[in-house]
Amino acid sequence: MTGSAIGTTVFMAVVLIGGLLFCFSHMGKGGGAWED
Amino acid sequence: MPEAGREKFLKRRHMIFAAIGSAVGLGNVWRFPYMCYEYGGAAFLVAYVVGIFAIGIPWLLTEFAMGHYFQKGAPGVFKSIGKKWEWLGWFPSISAFLIDTYYVVIMAWTLIYFFSSMTLAWGIGEAGAQQAGDFFFKTVLNLSDGPGMIGGLQWPIVAASAFTWFMIYLVIYRGAEIIGKVSEIVMTLAWILIFVIIIRSVTLVGAVDGLNYYLDIDWSVLKGGQVWFAAFSQIAFTLSVGMAGMYTYGRFIAKKGDITNNTIITSLCDSAFAFLAGFAVFSTVGYIMQALGVTLQDVTISGVGLAYVTYPVGISLMPALNRLTGVLFFLMFWLIGLSSAYFLAYGGYIVPMIDKFGWERKKVALWGCVAGFVVGLLYCTQAGLYWLDMVDRTVAFYTLLLGGAGASLVVGWVFGADKLREHVNATSDIKVGPWMDYLIKIVVPLGLFFVVAYGGFMQDLKEPYGGYGSWANSIWILMVLVLVVSFVLQGMKSKDEIS
Repeated sequence: MTGSAIGTTVFMAVVLIGGLLFCFSHMGKGGGAWED
Repeated sequence: MPEAGREKFLKRRHMIFAAIGSAVGLGNVWRFPYMCYEYGGAAFLVAYVVGIFAIGIPWLLTEFAMGHYFQKGAPGVFKSIGKKWEWLGWFPSISAFLIDTYYVVIMAWTLIYFFSSMTLAWGIGEAGAQQAGDFFFKTVLNLSDGPGMIGGLQWPIVAASAFTWFMIYLVIYRGAEIIGKVSEIVMTLAWILIFVIIIRSVTLVGAVDGLNYYLDIDWSVLKGGQVWFAAFSQIAFTLSVGMAGMYTYGRFIAKKGDITNNTIITSLCDSAFAFLAGFAVFSTVGYIMQALGVTLQDVTISGVGLAYVTYPVGISLMPALNRLTGVLFFLMFWLIGLSSAYFLAYGGYIVPMIDKFGWERKKVALWGCVAGFVVGLLYCTQAGLYWLDMVDRTVAFYTLLLGGAGASLVVGWVFGADKLREHVNATSDIKVGPWMDYLIKIVVPLGLFFVVAYGGFMQDLKEPYGGYGSWANSIWILMVLVLVVSFVLQGMKSKDEIS
């Protein structure tokens, strides 16, 4: 793969995996509940 | 209503799987990868990520939160805001019904391809590659020369459509509890299948060339409006907002169900599925280019042509595991379609009908599915593809976007974005600030109007959509019809008003 293709993949991986990790790490710390 | 007595998802993961299942659909496979390639790879993704946070998440959050707040489907939500706004809830409900009528027919084609893959009915090797187009347009669709030449019903499509509606009925007639459980199984299977298909695809010769096309960067496109239109339109279509169903799913979230976190997880998982699907699509396209010695311009890489012509070409040419790859791909495709189809049916129009008229759920579910099947027979004819395209342009573009913009304005300015934010923050782990108010009140409606104006009116008023000539006027007629029926339903007395 070209450098720009790898860069694009890394960008999306950071956004998606980072975003999901953020969400899962915040579960149960505010007003919400994991298991209802 | 007391928590114990109301209809809801049994587990939070059921809710998340159901919401992801509704969002992940055929467009994740046949639209997102093409958009990414066409609009500059990472440049498109930058616009897409901006759009997800500025439009997609606020829009989805609004629908979840309003359904949760009022414990009603879309029409009930807007009626609670003010009697005169009820039509704004019916507008997306009717759109959901119309979308489902042709969405199920696409699933029917998929089911036919699932079985056809077992024998590679369109042929194997280069001969199969040459016959794949004819197999779809002549054998499966028996396509006529235009929308006016309806022709006869294609009975295999009718049968596959009936089977799919029957499956939808089985999932929805017992309500949210079963929908949640089924969604968990369906989406888990779909994720496993997409990974299996990706592994198969990226190991093909030439796959890397295809991926380079998919992910190559062209930053210059960010200066123009086209990439922003492409990204915003993709977001509007991919999250299944503007189709009434997310109000219903929001209503099924438990009392302290964490609306914000569920919204972000749904949006990101949907985006992840689309991004990953691109690896399967473009790896296969790269392989076809290598095997047939053709360029990318010679290969259809979006829409029905991608799924039912290009992918079968790739399957025919594969050196091994052709049949298995075909079966797995079309099974995955059918499953992601199913989870969206029962969302459109139950969340989109069946629950609003139950809310309004107080009819029994099983009966509404049955007659809702029968009505969807009967209307969908239009797309089972020889002119079905043309009508599908025009109705899709109406209800999955114009009414979806205009209805979404109108709903956002009413929620933001009439109900109060601050009130919505207070409700969301009271139930959520991730708190949103006053900036969310501006997104709901200004950015979401403006973004949606921009997409309608830039990609819709400016083109369709210049020349008839799709080259259909005067038949394209059906788009405007259908739009008016949806609006009229919305007001008629608003004017009808509800069960509470009658009693």
